[in-house]
Amino acid sequence: MTQATNPPRRSVIAAHPLLSAGIAILIVADIFFALYTPIYSTLTPKLGDFPFFYWYLLIFMPVTSAALWLAMLLQKRLEDGGETR
Amino acid sequence: MSNVNATTFTIVLVLFLVVTGAGFAAARWRRPSNMMHLDEWGLGGRGFGTFVTWFLLGGDLYTAYTFIAVPALVFGSGSIGFYAVAYTILVYPIIFIFLPRLWSVSRVHGYITPADFIRGRYGSRGLALASAFTGILALMPYIALQLVGIQAVLTVMGVGASSTNTWLKDLPLFVAFLVLAIFTYVSGLRAPALIAFIKDTLIYLFVIVAVFYIPTRLGGWSHIFGIAQTHFASISPTTKKPIGTFLPTSKSVGSTQFDFASLALGSAVALFLYPHAITGTLAAKRRSVVKRNIISLPLYSVLLALIALFGYMAVADPTTAANVKKSGNAQLAVPYLFQHMFPSWFTGIAFAGIIIGALVPAAIMSIAAANLFTKNIYAEFFKPDATPELQTKMSRWVSLVVKLGALLFAIELPHTFSINLQLLGGVWILQLAPMLIGGLFTRWFHRWALLTGWLAGMVFGTLAAYNVSSPTASHWAASSDIEFGHSVYIGLSAVVLNLVIAVVLTLIMRAARVPEGTDETLPEQYTADPEQAPAPAPAAVGAAP
Repeated sequence: MTQATNPPRRSVIAAHPLLSAGIAILIVADIFFALYTPIYSTLTPKLGDFPFFYWYLLIFMPVTSAALWLAMLLQKRLEDGGETR
Repeated sequence: MSNVNATTFTIVLVLFLVVTGAGFAAARWRRPSNMMHLDEWGLGGRGFGTFVTWFLLGGDLYTAYTFIAVPALVFGSGSIGFYAVAYTILVYPIIFIFLPRLWSVSRVHGYITPADFIRGRYGSRGLALASAFTGILALMPYIALQLVGIQAVLTVMGVGASSTNTWLKDLPLFVAFLVLAIFTYVSGLRAPALIAFIKDTLIYLFVIVAVFYIPTRLGGWSHIFGIAQTHFASISPTTKKPIGTFLPTSKSVGSTQFDFASLALGSAVALFLYPHAITGTLAAKRRSVVKRNIISLPLYSVLLALIALFGYMAVADPTTAANVKKSGNAQLAVPYLFQHMFPSWFTGIAFAGIIIGALVPAAIMSIAAANLFTKNIYAEFFKPDATPELQTKMSRWVSLVVKLGALLFAIELPHTFSINLQLLGGVWILQLAPMLIGGLFTRWFHRWALLTGWLAGMVFGTLAAYNVSSPTASHWAASSDIEFGHSVYIGLSAVVLNLVIAVVLTLIMRAARVPEGTDETLPEQYTADPEQAPAPAPAAVGAAP
């Protein structure tokens, strides 16, 4: 607690570049695929009677949950692997 | 009261009484040794685990007004209403980035309101006042709209609708709010936390039943989507344009993909800047509780997506569509749909769900607004030596005043006024993003630059919203306007302006070496996870020079 935290925090990220990149990709992809409307503002392919636009948004919610859960697990590994704990 | 269905009315009344009982009993739930502290009254003792927090935040974020207004927008304009669905997806990856940091730093320093954090981070009473003021301003119409949601249900039930006297007509609303006000006063945040269980259960129940049952009555989903697609493509006689859209269009103006995305992004960033959302978060026991909730709350959004689809069901059901048209109020779409589709006892359960769904967020919002007033205005500027007990007394009374104000709003003013104000509330609250979210990651921004950016965003957003007109309204017609040839959410363009000003002025202030103020937070406190709640603050809150 006594030492400045910026250097150790950076080193945790630097020591585990893959883990850190994984977390970043999960979050950014989650935002991008919900935000970039042109990819899902279409009628087809349909799922049952649901046009693409509507089932895509519905399916996206459990997908978000799963992606964020994975990001949390990676974050936990990152914290455990660092010297701070 | 002649056309009131007795079964529906009785079920609503019984469920309301159950909730009232729970609201008062909540004071005994996890009873603290001393209720007269804002950590207890205002944050439920900061001790809620994952399960309770899930219900509390779910009940807090997905308000009754949402359940009425989102399908109403879908009913009226089609696919653009589904921005709310994209928005409740986007919220979670965005708050994953900053919310655990806000929890940690607030826990270490015992912050109760977002303005407490602003004050501690920037050492600026002015900036804290600006954020507290914005929060209260944005919450007032939001509380009023919870009442509008209750009114929509009561109107369809036929309760009081026949009377011409305003006060007699709104008597049921008055009673509902009086009960809400008293149990919030007594039990604080514990009341909505306990009632949220009942609310969420009822809403899950009626939404799932509705989603499987109603399509069987309306010829299946393909028929519902088919009717909606034809309906929104047809030309409106007043505007000579299509009534709405079935998919966001790729044009540059109108219900476009860009407008859809900007509304979704702006609303998603705004949601956890609202003080009531932060109150629900800070009541969590541990940092991991906040994270687990960010992961599991998207499952609540599924409900909202299904509720948005009720708008299309209302379009596809000729009786409901005709009833709504006759009333001239799209907000009645869902209540009319339920009344027409369900047997009266189940309608009672659904209506009770919506009414109780209004009480939970209204209680949390009034607590959040009361805490902001007490901590960041009253104790900061008028009574620096206020003891925790005095602060709690003050907060309790302010929560009553806030609700009374909201009641007057809902009864005395036209509903369009409350709706416009709520639209503005979203624009306003978004202007806190640079100081609050920015401040969680960097101390680079200068306090005066943030204050100027905030002011610019508030003024620009308000004027831009005022200037939006439509064939049916000369002002406040929508939450989007046209910037650089594209339809875009006003809140988003205002916060971009805000941010640009904050960046430019920070560079200037730093070059001029204007004093930055003291930062009482330390970098490691943003990732800390203290097991024990902070010791109750001594009387000297805000007394520091």
